[in-house]
Amino acid sequence: MKKNTFYLLGVLILGLLLFFVSCTQKSSDRLKSELLPIEGNPLVSFRILINVGSANDPVDKEGLCHLTWSILASGGTQDLSFKEISQRFYPMAAYLGLNLDKEMSVFTGQIHVDNLEEYYSIIKDMLLKPGFREEDFIRIKTNQLNFLERTLVSNMDEQFGKEILNLAMYEGHPYGHTEAGTVESVKSLTLEDVQAFYSEHFVQGNITFGLTGGYPLDFPAKMKNDFSTLPAGHTPELVLPEQKVPDGFEFVIAEKQTPATAMSMGFPVSLSKKDRDYFALWIAVSHFGEHRQHVSHLFQKIREERGQNYGDYAYADHFIQGRDKFPAQNYGRQQQYFSIWIRPLANSNRHFALRQALFELKKLVQNGIPAERFELVRTYLLNYTKLYAQTLGERLGWQMDSKYYGYKDFLAEAQERLPKITLEQVNSAIRKYLNFENLYIAIITQDAQSLRDILVADTPSPISYAGPKPQEILDEDMIYEVFPLNVKSKNIRFVPASQFFQKTGVPDSE
Amino acid sequence: MSKFISSALCLTLLLSIPAALHSAKIFPYDFKIEELENGLKIVSIPLDNPHIISFYTIVRSGSRNEIESGKSGFAHFFEHMMFKGTKDVPREDYDDFLTLLGAGTNGYTTDDFTCYFVVFAGQENLESVVKTEADRFINLYYDEEMIKSEAPVIEGEYYASVSNPSRRIYETLRNTAFDLHSYKHTTLGYLEDILDMPNQFEYSQLYQKRFYAPDNSILLVAGDFDHDQLMDYVRKYYGPWEKSNYTLVTPEEKTQTKQKRAHYDWPSPTLPRLAIGFHGPAFSDENIDMAAMDLLAAVAFSSSSALYQKLVIEEQKCQSFFTSFSDHRDPFMLIFNTVLKQEKDLPDIEEEIFKELERLKEEPVDVETLAKVKSNLKYSFANSLGTTDGIAGSLAYYINLTGDPNTVNKVFDLYEKITPEDIQEMTRKYFMTTNSTVVTLAEGKER
Repeated sequence: MKKNTFYLLGVLILGLLLFFVSCTQKSSDRLKSELLPIEGNPLVSFRILINVGSANDPVDKEGLCHLTWSILASGGTQDLSFKEISQRFYPMAAYLGLNLDKEMSVFTGQIHVDNLEEYYSIIKDMLLKPGFREEDFIRIKTNQLNFLERTLVSNMDEQFGKEILNLAMYEGHPYGHTEAGTVESVKSLTLEDVQAFYSEHFVQGNITFGLTGGYPLDFPAKMKNDFSTLPAGHTPELVLPEQKVPDGFEFVIAEKQTPATAMSMGFPVSLSKKDRDYFALWIAVSHFGEHRQHVSHLFQKIREERGQNYGDYAYADHFIQGRDKFPAQNYGRQQQYFSIWIRPLANSNRHFALRQALFELKKLVQNGIPAERFELVRTYLLNYTKLYAQTLGERLGWQMDSKYYGYKDFLAEAQERLPKITLEQVNSAIRKYLNFENLYIAIITQDAQSLRDILVADTPSPISYAGPKPQEILDEDMIYEVFPLNVKSKNIRFVPASQFFQKTGVPDSE
Repeated sequence: MSKFISSALCLTLLLSIPAALHSAKIFPYDFKIEELENGLKIVSIPLDNPHIISFYTIVRSGSRNEIESGKSGFAHFFEHMMFKGTKDVPREDYDDFLTLLGAGTNGYTTDDFTCYFVVFAGQENLESVVKTEADRFINLYYDEEMIKSEAPVIEGEYYASVSNPSRRIYETLRNTAFDLHSYKHTTLGYLEDILDMPNQFEYSQLYQKRFYAPDNSILLVAGDFDHDQLMDYVRKYYGPWEKSNYTLVTPEEKTQTKQKRAHYDWPSPTLPRLAIGFHGPAFSDENIDMAAMDLLAAVAFSSSSALYQKLVIEEQKCQSFFTSFSDHRDPFMLIFNTVLKQEKDLPDIEEEIFKELERLKEEPVDVETLAKVKSNLKYSFANSLGTTDGIAGSLAYYINLTGDPNTVNKVFDLYEKITPEDIQEMTRKYFMTTNSTVVTLAEGKER
């Protein structure tokens, strides 16, 4: 009896001690979850979100976050080699995906409920008990280096252009390197660096585990229990320097032998989906350049009317294409930028197309969006956004993003707010956040010196067509081809393509 | 109108996904098939999800149909012209219609078919979608100037991927492997044919007359609608579409009797690539040849296979390694693709692939591995059915091949029946060195 009393007392004290420790632990140090149970659904979707991204890379160790998370997603555990994992995943058609951005990373997976237990037992160990094997490290680091040295600069010009824009816009800023890092920094990374980064950042307070689908009711508790074995703590939110506004048009040109010129341009903006004004600006930018849709004004002007390329778009904030043409989720950032993407076009039309895009931007900023387009585009967004969250993963992703941006449900918020916005609010947002005089412009093309000369000289850039064109288009062309850009010679840097991503920032100009 | 709650939008759809793997058929949804007098086939899959409808039009014409010289890429070009509107609904009005609808819409062209889709919310919009889509398929209008204006867009699309060596090695492989069949070129076509597209107004009209007809097309509709209501609209608006009665005869490829080889020098830094293609069977949901090849690809060359593990994970000579044994209406190719880390390993990797094929001719795959592969195929298919679009898209792929939506179930039935001995027999039948084409790509001088 006495023994039992002591035992109970001990349990009570231990419980109180644990309770005390738990209470003194800050909520920001603890694991978070987002749950969306759908009883009876045969699938279960996971999104394990980490509030850490490439902006958390230590100086001179750029690419470390990418390498560390990639080793978790594509490496072995303490008990299983990656070969064994592949062989166990295969019959289940299972995977553990990874999306990585500046301040956020997410591991994704989807599995049939038949295989939930086995799948979870594997991914749990991949994330909580990584093997950090030398052979995985070498394989994944080599892939990362190959991507930087060869693939990005040589095999994917559209992405290359977007990355150069990022380098130009964020020089000296934690966003200012591609997620994969630089050749120099990645070469220097060691397995010890990877393990240290994991220990520092893969901690409870950085993690939100998201679950949706037909998982058993007790599954979240089990997952919480498992992930609570990670150390408490969190990585403080980055204090970012002010975004640097370009001085006029600041060009970075990557030179390579190519029959086509790719262009991306933009500038930092001081709002994000968190802000009330976002919804008004969203209508404006959807009108100006909705991603891969005919409603895009730039698409109509450059592709439909003139047949210059495959498409031309604009974005109010950082955009990554997810399923089909819809925006991907979990790419939240504190700081955002407006951008225009001109897909590759014949080198002979590069100067004309650049002028055309900038002229149309000027018109947008000065005149706002035409009244007849306002209602059309607003209705479009109200209906199109109903298609955004169709899959389990998308549903969960938007739920998590809603929380990040401070909404209960961002897409529902859009349905509430968009109908109340006026044309004047849209045009006011355009004037407040957009400009046509100060942009970073990234170009991949050949014969960069010649482009520089005609840019500085503001030489007219006439365009010719295979067939006749309506007079109104020809009249408009006359305006485009002499639209003054007033480019300062000092604002044009051109560099051989192969020199990019060797070190942080834009390489020194020739 | 009830308050929109995004989380409600998909809830019922997600609830409605049957446990595909536990039903008798791999495609677990009921569908109805009807055919109009003009030959237009309609496959409808009413689902109990609220709001969303996927409306697909499948034209059974792709780059396979480009049998005349100088016309490569035309099926894809014509897909672009299909967005030019009609006299009643000009392009601008058509664009505005889709914009107001907030539809997800596009088209894509493959070797064998061209697919157009409109994904939208709201049953109340079904009639206007059927009416507008029928109008553009029956009354498409464009003039020579519009052809000349659109052709450079194709050139732009060519440029969009010009820096991608994967595209180049694929083009080279097909061009080398085929002599006669229109599978010799990709859907994008040869650059010289793309540059000549502005001059193809007359041919475009011939192409439309031959292939854009109800007896060569299938409507596939999935989502929240009533079947009878759909059919009323379809009869009303698609009834006047006139048959083509055109029969395509594709050139028959002669049997290849000796190995072919080609190399492409990539003008800038790149990882070296190797593609090996073997002439293979046409798709069939009755003969086991192609189904056996699908299983072989998974057993011996997928990410769980011994060869993949050796080349990618253990020796790390390859960055990626995958097969592309895609289904085609006519005999196509069984392709092995790999991206290497060093050019010096190209001969070794080629040898490894041939050596593995020789081993598979002698040793049947083990039953346990085969069971895992069959499991993977089922779960992969089940994972693709999460949206109306996923359901329609999955079915569209199989419908194109035979015109019959039951094909998807027949193929998975075939998978179940295939034995290790079947796979061994098919390996011997198709993987002969004389039947192969080997293409390499590596950094080299400019060309």
